[in-house]
Amino acid sequence: MMSKGKIETVFMAMVIVVLAVFAVANYAAIMQTKGSIAQDASPVTNASGEVIHVIGHQWAWTFIYPNGTQAENNLVVTVNTRITLIVNSSDVIHDLYIPQMDIQSYAVPGQNNTVSFTPTSTGQFFFECVEYCGEFHYEMRGYLTVIS
Amino acid sequence: MADYSTLMLTSGVILSLIGIVAFAIYYIIADRKAKLAEMARERGYQSTAQFYRDFVANKKRRISWNIMVDNDARSLGLRYLLTSILFFFIAGTFGLGMRLSLTYNVPQTFFTFLTPDAYNILLTEHATLMIYMWAVGAAVGLGYYLLPSHLNLTRDGRGGYSSIAYWIWLFGAIIFLLSRSSFRWYLYPPLSLQLSQNGGGLFAWMGILGMIFIFIGLLIVAIVIVQIILFDRSKDIKLGKMSLFSWSILDTALMMIVSIPPILVGLTMLMYDYYAPIFFTASAHNVLLFLILFWWWGHPIVYIAVIPYFGIIYEIIPRFTGTSIYSYRSGVLGLGLLTILSMTVFGHHLLNSGLGVAWDILFETTSFIVVIPSAITVFNWIATFWQANKIRLTTPMLFVLNGIIDFIIGGITGVMQVYQPVNQLVHGTYWVTAHFHFIFMGITVGITMAAVYLLFPLITGGRMYNVLLARVHFYLTAIGSMLMSTAWAVGGFLGMPRAVAGYFSWFQAYQDASIIGGVIIGIGQLVFLANFAMSWLKEPTTSDESILEKPFAVPGVDA
Repeated sequence: MMSKGKIETVFMAMVIVVLAVFAVANYAAIMQTKGSIAQDASPVTNASGEVIHVIGHQWAWTFIYPNGTQAENNLVVTVNTRITLIVNSSDVIHDLYIPQMDIQSYAVPGQNNTVSFTPTSTGQFFFECVEYCGEFHYEMRGYLTVIS
Repeated sequence: MADYSTLMLTSGVILSLIGIVAFAIYYIIADRKAKLAEMARERGYQSTAQFYRDFVANKKRRISWNIMVDNDARSLGLRYLLTSILFFFIAGTFGLGMRLSLTYNVPQTFFTFLTPDAYNILLTEHATLMIYMWAVGAAVGLGYYLLPSHLNLTRDGRGGYSSIAYWIWLFGAIIFLLSRSSFRWYLYPPLSLQLSQNGGGLFAWMGILGMIFIFIGLLIVAIVIVQIILFDRSKDIKLGKMSLFSWSILDTALMMIVSIPPILVGLTMLMYDYYAPIFFTASAHNVLLFLILFWWWGHPIVYIAVIPYFGIIYEIIPRFTGTSIYSYRSGVLGLGLLTILSMTVFGHHLLNSGLGVAWDILFETTSFIVVIPSAITVFNWIATFWQANKIRLTTPMLFVLNGIIDFIIGGITGVMQVYQPVNQLVHGTYWVTAHFHFIFMGITVGITMAAVYLLFPLITGGRMYNVLLARVHFYLTAIGSMLMSTAWAVGGFLGMPRAVAGYFSWFQAYQDASIIGGVIIGIGQLVFLANFAMSWLKEPTTSDESILEKPFAVPGVDA
């Protein structure tokens, strides 16, 4: 029978080892997928691939493509292309969330957050605003279409 | 932004209301003082203070109207506890309203009065009242009610401050309730600066004012509690021999003192922004500053809402297992570390806001570290069960077991979110709601109910609750919360956003399952209310003793 202090030490050591593994895995994952993490870039310097400006406003998302065309709550991108979204807001704080692409970025007024992803399959996906932004917050959602 | 004259007029009305309340408090205190002095004279006492100590303070307290004006620790405890239970039912009704408005993916399909705006108001009120009035209020109440016997207080003279703090706190909650704000409990600017139904609500500034009052009340009461524990306890109870419950209350109060000032500063700046928007505006590039000030407080508050209940668990377990806590030392260590480390993790609420990769890694790592003290605490409980010969499954004990299980589930779903790729997938979805409802339903609600059942004979003067109804209450609460939170967790992982009045139609099943869970919880609480009322009307049958009153056996270092 081990003493109480020893049992506690062993237990704590086990917990610390498990958490250390998690922390290292997390660090490695972040280093590999740096681009998919929302980062403040005002002025924008780290954009790569096709750059799409996203402006959140009460209560819709406006997407501005490189050629100047605009779309509301509807994003169309090409498969296997690197996409960089520059997310901004014209009124309050919003949060662009595309679950199937595993990206998420706050839309903060006065700040350009950049986030990148590469769609690998075609189809229709959805995006939502997940930061509460006023009366019709739930209507800030739409579809992401990936075409070939 | 509103124009100056409206704001001046309305703040004038508010200030007069404050004046009236302050005068009422002054009148009550002065009146009680005069009455006490008269009673002391009648009984031949020279000093009123001596009379107070002999006849009023340190006596058992039952539920009566007197507790609203008496300023001894037990009356205050009961006052806080009953007020918080009242607000639990108010905010719980709001929660149920939110659930019912989500029966169909298009708002107002079945319940036409539950508009998106109504949903947003319910969302704000439910969260704010549940946290500041119920979780913190019940913790303060239990602390006040149990500390005098746990620490064998030598003096009980700080009640006046706490009483005033109580009225400020309650006043704040009432203004907040009346403000019909819809800025969610986050109060993020610029939304909270939009004085319209579309934004933060027409009277959002009133909501902010209410929050300021709530925080001032809580800050005063936290300071008083620290003073009571450090200076008023009996000389023969050393700091290292205090009951674990007293330690948990001390940690809670210290955490509140450290974390309330930043949010008070933030709220004051926000209030100023209504007149002249200079602090949290896009042109000043510091909208995110308020978020940091908010979460500086907003993360510790989640621990404030659980640490006191850890203390209660530490007090309940030995009584129904017949053995002392496995390790007193690691209990104190776990609570203390949780207190300190919880101050360092606030940034994990803002991982996707553009803080930058370096900050993300920092806050994620500290969030992994904060799991260690929680693991120590849970291990301590499990080890105590392990060394027990027999575990008596009374209703309070069932609540404790359910609380521990819920805390483990809630903790694991919590630490998963810290992993950055998972965070990007679940931040802002129902997964997060599930994570903290597991913990709040299991720990905050469950353990307070366990404590209320244990204190029932004491606070009602020897009456006993109906055991069968208490069991029904427990099972309905446990099953309902498990169903509700599990449905949320699954839906959230698939991308179901929280805080929305309508949703994509394919999330219908998860929402409906959680509605059933929510309704089951609601019925369970009605059973509790019925049990309370029916038992209260019966004649006293037992002695008015409660096993929570005295520390079980203050364990030594090696006990």
